[in-house]
Amino acid sequence: MTLAAELRRWARWFLPGVAVLLVILAVFPIWATGYGVRVMLQLFMWIALAQSWNLISGLTGYVSFGHVAFFGIGAYTTGILVTKGMAWPLAALAGGAMAVVLAFVIGWPCLRLKGPYFAIAMLGLNEVLRVAASYFEGLTGGGLGLSLPTLDASVRIYYAMGLVAIAVTGLTHAIVTSRFGLRLMTIREDEVAAEAMGIDTFRYKVYAFLLSAAAPGIVGGLAARDMGYIEPISVFPLITTITMIVMVLFGGKGTIWGPVLGAVILFTFQELVWAHFPHAHQVLLGAIIITVVLAMPRGILGVLQQKYNLPRTV
Amino acid sequence: MPHVTPIMLGQVIVSGLLAGALYAMVALGLGLIFGVMRVLNVAHGPLLMLGAYVTYWLFSTVGLNPYLSLLVSMPLVFLIGVALQHVFVRRVVDAPELSSLLLTFGISIALVNLAQLAFTSDLRSVEFLTGSFLVGPFAFSKSRVIACLFAAGITALAFLFLQKTRLGKAIRAVSQSREVAQVCGINVQRIHLFAFGLASALAAAGGTLVAVMVAIQPEMGAVYTFKSFLVIVLGGAGNYPGALLGGLLLGLVEQLASLFLTTQVNEAVAYVLLVLVLLLRPTGLLGGRST
Amino acid sequence: MPGPILQVRNLMKSFGGVTAVNGVSLSLEAGKIYGLFGPNGSGKTTLFNCITGIERRDQGAIGFKGRRIDGLKPHQVFHRGIGRTFQVIRVFPELTALENLLVVTGGDYARSRERAEELLRFVKLEGLADEYAGNLSYGQQKLVEFIRVLMTDPELILLDEPAAGVNRTLLNELLDAVRALRDRGKTVFLVEHDMKVVMGLCETVFVLDHGEKLAEGPPGSIQSDERVIEAYFGR
Repeated sequence: MTLAAELRRWARWFLPGVAVLLVILAVFPIWATGYGVRVMLQLFMWIALAQSWNLISGLTGYVSFGHVAFFGIGAYTTGILVTKGMAWPLAALAGGAMAVVLAFVIGWPCLRLKGPYFAIAMLGLNEVLRVAASYFEGLTGGGLGLSLPTLDASVRIYYAMGLVAIAVTGLTHAIVTSRFGLRLMTIREDEVAAEAMGIDTFRYKVYAFLLSAAAPGIVGGLAARDMGYIEPISVFPLITTITMIVMVLFGGKGTIWGPVLGAVILFTFQELVWAHFPHAHQVLLGAIIITVVLAMPRGILGVLQQKYNLPRTV
Repeated sequence: MPHVTPIMLGQVIVSGLLAGALYAMVALGLGLIFGVMRVLNVAHGPLLMLGAYVTYWLFSTVGLNPYLSLLVSMPLVFLIGVALQHVFVRRVVDAPELSSLLLTFGISIALVNLAQLAFTSDLRSVEFLTGSFLVGPFAFSKSRVIACLFAAGITALAFLFLQKTRLGKAIRAVSQSREVAQVCGINVQRIHLFAFGLASALAAAGGTLVAVMVAIQPEMGAVYTFKSFLVIVLGGAGNYPGALLGGLLLGLVEQLASLFLTTQVNEAVAYVLLVLVLLLRPTGLLGGRST
Repeated sequence: MPGPILQVRNLMKSFGGVTAVNGVSLSLEAGKIYGLFGPNGSGKTTLFNCITGIERRDQGAIGFKGRRIDGLKPHQVFHRGIGRTFQVIRVFPELTALENLLVVTGGDYARSRERAEELLRFVKLEGLADEYAGNLSYGQQKLVEFIRVLMTDPELILLDEPAAGVNRTLLNELLDAVRALRDRGKTVFLVEHDMKVVMGLCETVFVLDHGEKLAEGPPGSIQSDERVIEAYFGR
């Protein structure tokens, strides 16, 4: 069966399925409890985070160990702006913009480094930002945290998060099926050859990095609004980055739906286990990373792709 | 900016060198793993942490002199390192470096959280040596000085080992070229096992020595992983003597920076230094291999 | 076009204590096939790497079509009109053969696609256009890498050991393709081990030994040059 025919067979039942699901999710808040809405809102947030991490690390192979930095800076930007009176949707967008700026500041020097060195540089980023947030006390409330004026906007934030998740998935689809996406992948496949074939790998890496920072910034802002309170340890935790990484690795890096799959599975597991056994949960995350690297480097979706001969653009 | 007297400067320089010796020893371990196997071991910090906990445990249960516990922590963590290499790491030795990075990242998460489960995140300490040596106008914390002496000694032994013994030379041979070493009849697999074990032992030694100085908790190792990477980058990947100088340099820079900046910003100093060196001299200040 | 298409003057490149290229100078005229010959470790690939910007030369100058190119990044060198293949095949394994070609050019997608398909037909691989490059055989990958370089129609093509690991038939196809390129006015510069390939194909051969240019001239005279023989079989 040719690639085109395969894609058509795939689309015939998958896309309507997704459409039905979207309709269900859209009317969900009407009959769900506050808790239910909150849970789903978080799921959307994780989907957005995982997809974003996928954009840089899954496609270009440049592993970003510090991606939570963008989430945190979005949270703080939004939090500060909201306390100064700005409406939260606008503030969240500003959070996204700030995250992109930070991505540029970090990416400009660091993306010149080769893959492994870039990863090392990103490892240190977390610590630095946590320290910085504590340091600039006047603005951020220091180690004590920042409180936002109380507001019950969970339902609206649910829709906002949902929109971001859809947008990032759509963006991923657009990229993976375009020449831009192919070029990003060549960086992962063989950066030296890509350069030799005229691809300005630095510029492409920067684009991917900037794109991958926007959504975490926005959802960071939305999460801040939802939680109503931010402190450095809650918005720059290593566990957020780890979870993002595991979701994408487990689901299938470099694919469109892999991060979504990984997010759904791991989020469910997280809701059931993490609350009660946080450290056992993290040991498990570590074990999953080890297993994926050794046994299923393409994640669950990769395994399915091979078994059922699915196209790459899935 | 505070007024800096020559005495302050002298104090800071010596403190820097004292700290640097420790950094050098721990970083040598990381450098060995990278040099021999081209693996970036993110789990290096957790191995240091294990060493610290061994020391703590021996001290609090049987009152063993922490410095004597080196004789336990080093061999024990050596074995743990060998086990990790045999079960996990050897499978990614030939894979792209990103795979080994992710793998050791996963291992480090597992180790840190296993430690959390076993020891809880309560801060522990080993109150053994307090006070300072007074030398003229200078005062040096006793534990720092002793730690430096041990670190220097262990590092010197490690270098002697690498230079003089057959196993050490084999390690250096494999670092240079695995193919040539194999042709010369060296069992590369065994060298990998040993190197990883040795590196882990060096990390554990670092843990034992700092156990007397800092609060012990499961996440204590992370900062040492990062700084070890920095030292390797400074000294040049694969350049073992370079690790020594890199460590001393890092110690110096940190202490000097603390004269002018608050301690919180010290982390940022190390980070900025890393990025700068990677950008300007990726093969290290002393020249080594690039990846 | 007046003047040589590529000029290398006094190129030096060292790695740590090892000097890979030690003051090599050479000059290529447009529209000819040149060979770079020499034992392993003589500096051939390093020379190529310096020309294409993958390595930064320590000293010396490299000029292409009259303009300096040393110091440029590889993608810039590519866009000036120099393409290369690699000693170890470097196709993008998770991209299809067609995609391997498409990533090279920008601009009009339809035109790129046409050109890619044309090139695939040229080497009779059009049936494998949608196959992942990683699944292709060694010889097929070699061909894909070869036509990939031709996507933007570069004026100078560097081939690093095109004959390596390739069977007779395929090799002849490649050599014919190289001659066809030369007939269209392209300049080809290839690194080779295999004397027979060099003999039948190249108009001028440079011989490197231990990073230095040992000899230069038509294949016939190189073959009987004493220094070359000594470099290969002597010592």
